[in-house]
Amino acid sequence: MVQAPVRTVNRQQRAFNQFITIMSFLGVPLLLYTVWVIYPTFQTLLLSTTDWDGLSDTWNSVGFANFERLWSEEPFRKSIVNNIIWIIVFITIPPAAGLGLAMVLNTDVKFDRFLKIAYYLPLVLATVVTALVWAQGIYNPRSGLLNTFLSLFIGNKAFEIQWLGDPNLAIFSVIAAAVWRQVGYVMILYLAGLKTVDQEVLEAAKMDGAEGWTLFRYMVFPMLAPVTTIVVVISVIDSLRSFDMVNIMTRGNPFDSSNVLANYMYLSFEDYRMGYAASIAVVLFAISLIFIFLYLREVMKQEES
Amino acid sequence: MKKWLLVALGAVVAGAAAVMAQGGGNLVYNSQASDPAPRKFDEEQVALFKKAYPGINFTHNTVDIEGFKTAIRTYLASDNPPDVLTWYAGNRMRAFAERGLAADIGDVWNKNGWTKTFPKGMQELSKSDGKFVFVPTNYYWWAMYYRKDLFAKLGLKEAQTWTQLLTLCDKLNAAGVTPMVTGSKFLWPLGGWFDFLNMRVNGPKFHFDVTDGKIPYTDARVRKVFTYWKQLMDRKCFNSDSASLDWHEAAALMTANEPKGGMFLIGDFVRDQWKDGLEKTQLDFFRFPIIDSKIPVGEEAPTDGYFLPAKAKNLENAKLFLGFIGSKEQMEKGVKELGRLAPRSDVDASLYASKPQIAKAQATIIGKADAIAQFYDRDTDPEMANIGMKGFQEFMSNPAQLDNILKRLEVARKRIFQ
Repeated sequence: MVQAPVRTVNRQQRAFNQFITIMSFLGVPLLLYTVWVIYPTFQTLLLSTTDWDGLSDTWNSVGFANFERLWSEEPFRKSIVNNIIWIIVFITIPPAAGLGLAMVLNTDVKFDRFLKIAYYLPLVLATVVTALVWAQGIYNPRSGLLNTFLSLFIGNKAFEIQWLGDPNLAIFSVIAAAVWRQVGYVMILYLAGLKTVDQEVLEAAKMDGAEGWTLFRYMVFPMLAPVTTIVVVISVIDSLRSFDMVNIMTRGNPFDSSNVLANYMYLSFEDYRMGYAASIAVVLFAISLIFIFLYLREVMKQEES
Repeated sequence: MKKWLLVALGAVVAGAAAVMAQGGGNLVYNSQASDPAPRKFDEEQVALFKKAYPGINFTHNTVDIEGFKTAIRTYLASDNPPDVLTWYAGNRMRAFAERGLAADIGDVWNKNGWTKTFPKGMQELSKSDGKFVFVPTNYYWWAMYYRKDLFAKLGLKEAQTWTQLLTLCDKLNAAGVTPMVTGSKFLWPLGGWFDFLNMRVNGPKFHFDVTDGKIPYTDARVRKVFTYWKQLMDRKCFNSDSASLDWHEAAALMTANEPKGGMFLIGDFVRDQWKDGLEKTQLDFFRFPIIDSKIPVGEEAPTDGYFLPAKAKNLENAKLFLGFIGSKEQMEKGVKELGRLAPRSDVDASLYASKPQIAKAQATIIGKADAIAQFYDRDTDPEMANIGMKGFQEFMSNPAQLDNILKRLEVARKRIFQ
């Protein structure tokens, strides 16, 4: 009879202590996260239903007019299509190339350390630098590396190729530069994955006569499945985030043929269309959310197992 | 004893007055003069001002010219904006003034007697809702710039008429030189093409109605402008890589020792791209050719200047700076060093005469103009300007799309100017 309330107090006390402990670790990050991520997110949602021009004092609500207009405007449609092209390229070429490189460099090739560094190096460079080097040094139609090289084979005709100025080529030229950057990243992820592959299982498979392609296809690749999932999801998220390469290499030009959602949003800011830009941000956020959810689910599943 | 005190008091007052004259407090000035020649001039002016007012704690920031156009909105939206900003006359200035973001500087105009020393047109350009909000400090002209030495070698003459311009194209093409260069990576150089063609084909009044959003882009008269543009494209007058280049890179085709381009429709700032005084022997310009001699002549003369954000913290110092920048001496210095026209009417005329390009521009372009435009992206709404110039860029790449492009511009115009 006397003991019961004491136990309750203890339980409350314990719960309180636990709360204090949690908050002392989580408090500061949570506060920062609320101020810099959660609050702006809701602010953006609200902004997307207004026609704010970035300068006036008041926000006029326009309901969903911004979203309705999105679908009717060509730059938005082109940007979505380009984002999809970007995703398709990004989930195929860099993972395939990165995996290939990882497989080769995981064996005892000569200079493997040098090669690993060489392939990883593009990722160390600031994206802005990469974009400028590609735009000015490689794609420049008159003096760029690419056309100069091509002119060895097809003569002066090569100097007419507008890598970033031709509306049919521009987006692919930008993506190619981005792929160059991404391959090394994927390679490192796979190299790390290969280290976790159980060597004994592989030895057993080899004893059973599996080798070469069969060994890779039925043993190594399935064992790398968790890495592959993460690589694909990261590639999708990176595709949706793509902004800096586009903004620096083409600004979405010529006439939006190389525009992507994030850059279109930025250009709309420049046009005093904050509300409209916010609605682009919301669409981009919604699409990203799906993949971020998939990514987190995969990570958590792995952590549990 | 009393006398001594009086003297001491007098000395203190005089000392205080001297300090007052030299100013005090802070002054922040953000400038977009990032190209080498204007930057040098800008820095010299700031140094002179600092010398005159050593008491003012002066902060001078130079921002990249393309970045400045974006950053200025952040400045104006903040509660602590710079005190003085460079900007453009026309719609660009009005857009800020109408939103109450520019300080009323009528007192600066009155105190310095500028209402008597600036021509009426410039005063109108500096006002919004009848209040002075802007100080114009220089203006320049757009024209067809060309390689003098190349023209001489090929025996070519400046084009007065449209037919002569087309002939120039053919002859330069025959000589293996791109007749006209342009660079539309940042879109705006194409605005000049639309402005001139529209003013020459439909007249300046119609052009202003277009930039004010009063005329549909699908109007047959607007469409006609593009048929002239197309004539040039059909004759391969332009460099094929215009969408890949910015204006510096396009100009480089003309400044090369063996020029790859013959002409460039651009503002007089292109002069700065020539080094070591080579422009004296290589660069000249002529008025954009007349297409219909019955139509009044409109020219492009964009005006640059200064304004003060309404929320500026150091308004008094900022106004001192404006008074200094707008003074006769500083404007004459600008004419001398930058070779631009001064918007004051009392500038020493011999200065203009000493600059052959200014004398020529006054005699053949500015002096003969019936109307002056600022520029497409300064005369029309900023969003319209971007959509419009993107349309011009698409037209140059794919002229068959013209009707679709004009329809799209019209949708945008209706929404923006509703």
